[in-house]
Amino acid sequence: MNTYVVETRQLTKRYGDHAAVKNLSLSVERGEVFGFLGHNGAGKTTTIHMLTTLLKPTSGTALVCGKSVTDQSLEARRHIGYVPENVRLYDTMTARANLLFFARLSGVENPDRRIDETLDFLECRDLAPRLVGSFSKGLRQRIGLAQAILHRPDVLFLDEPTSGLDPMGIKTLRDLIVRLNREFGTTIFMNTHLISEISRTCTSIGVLNQGELVFRDTIEKVTERYGSESSLEELYLSVTPVQAKGAA
Amino acid sequence: MGNTAANAPIRLLISQSLATIARERTVALLALLFLVLVVVAAYLGWSATSTVNAIYLRSVDYMTAQGQTIPSNPVLDTSPLALLRNMATYVSLIGALAAIVVGHQLIASDRKAGTMPLLATRPMRGIDLGIAKAVALVIAIAALVTFAAVINTATFLALPEFRLDGAGWSKLAVFYGMSGLYLLVFGFLGMWFGAAAKSETVGLLIPVTVWLTLTFVLPQITSNINPVAALNPVSALADAPASAFFQVTGWALGPFSLAEAYRVISAQLLDFMPPTYVDRVAIPAAASLLIAAAGVGAIATRAVARMDMTKGDYDA
Repeated sequence: MNTYVVETRQLTKRYGDHAAVKNLSLSVERGEVFGFLGHNGAGKTTTIHMLTTLLKPTSGTALVCGKSVTDQSLEARRHIGYVPENVRLYDTMTARANLLFFARLSGVENPDRRIDETLDFLECRDLAPRLVGSFSKGLRQRIGLAQAILHRPDVLFLDEPTSGLDPMGIKTLRDLIVRLNREFGTTIFMNTHLISEISRTCTSIGVLNQGELVFRDTIEKVTERYGSESSLEELYLSVTPVQAKGAA
Repeated sequence: MGNTAANAPIRLLISQSLATIARERTVALLALLFLVLVVVAAYLGWSATSTVNAIYLRSVDYMTAQGQTIPSNPVLDTSPLALLRNMATYVSLIGALAAIVVGHQLIASDRKAGTMPLLATRPMRGIDLGIAKAVALVIAIAALVTFAAVINTATFLALPEFRLDGAGWSKLAVFYGMSGLYLLVFGFLGMWFGAAAKSETVGLLIPVTVWLTLTFVLPQITSNINPVAALNPVSALADAPASAFFQVTGWALGPFSLAEAYRVISAQLLDFMPPTYVDRVAIPAAASLLIAAAGVGAIATRAVARMDMTKGDYDA
């Protein structure tokens, strides 16, 4: 039985002459917390957009839970949850009304009960009656996470989930991601450019540089081979030479 | 059963879309303005008719005293439906603008909220969103037209001197149907560019420019109707000069001159068509509106289905 939740082969996305993602062949196993690391503009968000069916690839294939994101996009969507970098919801509606709408749209049975369970899991049931427009970035991110897991997806895609959060918000979100993976068995596919995120949250890592996958391994093996977080940073800089030189 | 389950996201999106635009202040203000003008149109029609009637009754007294022959009452010679002729102008002016804003807001509300990526990753087809928005627009326009119809029906029922027979009520019903169709064209235009434009301003500006062209520019080319005359429901139906230029433009461009088509239909249905008016357009006015509404509706639905769903907001 195929245990891969995400599987891409030669996945490519071009905008005119520019290839945002080049021949990406990648697989993520069920239950993994996969950290997709890369500089800004490396092609991480484009990859997530293709895997979440928001963007059609130029060439190559991508399967999510065995369903093609192009030919079986509807089926693929039943298995995914998505939290964009800047979570935006209907500001003039309460958190509960937002969640009810997205739960129904995802075909969740008994949505009210599922919302309560989800908010309890995320420890934010008190937010339910409040207008989303009044939320801080951290609270908005929490409700954004809630809308993405209401239907208990097999794989959760997070695009720079801690971007713009304060240290406490980052820690809370990181803990939630780990709990989500442990308690629900949800596979996590997380874009980030923060090495600290990877070392503390992920079980495996992929590094994207200028649209190409330049490194892929488990965190266990990486730590075995390279040691501490600072070594992980050195590894990252060594596999992304062009950008690193450019940045320097 | 299968169909019911498949339609569930569409129904949900329709109710969500309607609830969202109901909260939009601009939409509410324009809709309110339109309905106020419907009342004004009814009042103006009643007032003008009452004045003519009062003058006629005074003249009758005077002429009776003079022993002269009493002519028939001009009010009774006019169809009571003509009382509503100002409606045609208000529909093509403020009604069309309100429709553009409603159509635009149906899309802009989601784009501004930044929820498109969240919607597009749910198990529904892109076309479901397009269909839901189109149906929501039809419901919103139908509600607007129904309110107008209720106000005008109440006016007729409140004025005992104006009795409508069965044919009159039927013509009035068809007039509202055609008004709804005309408003839908502009609503779909608003929806189309709300989805296709990269900025919110451009998304509103293009349909408004199209509306200006259809209402004021095209009638000038096809029938030599200047913009001021176009605001008058009766003078806008004056015959075009009998030159070869207007013969050709009227025939060829007439089907695209939707404001004129709507006025012709209104004049026919509300009985204020000048007896000498000659329609030179290649296809019937009702067919123009029907084709335009269906065509722009299909394009708008497709534009919504093909929107760039990766972006949470305009120019994001």
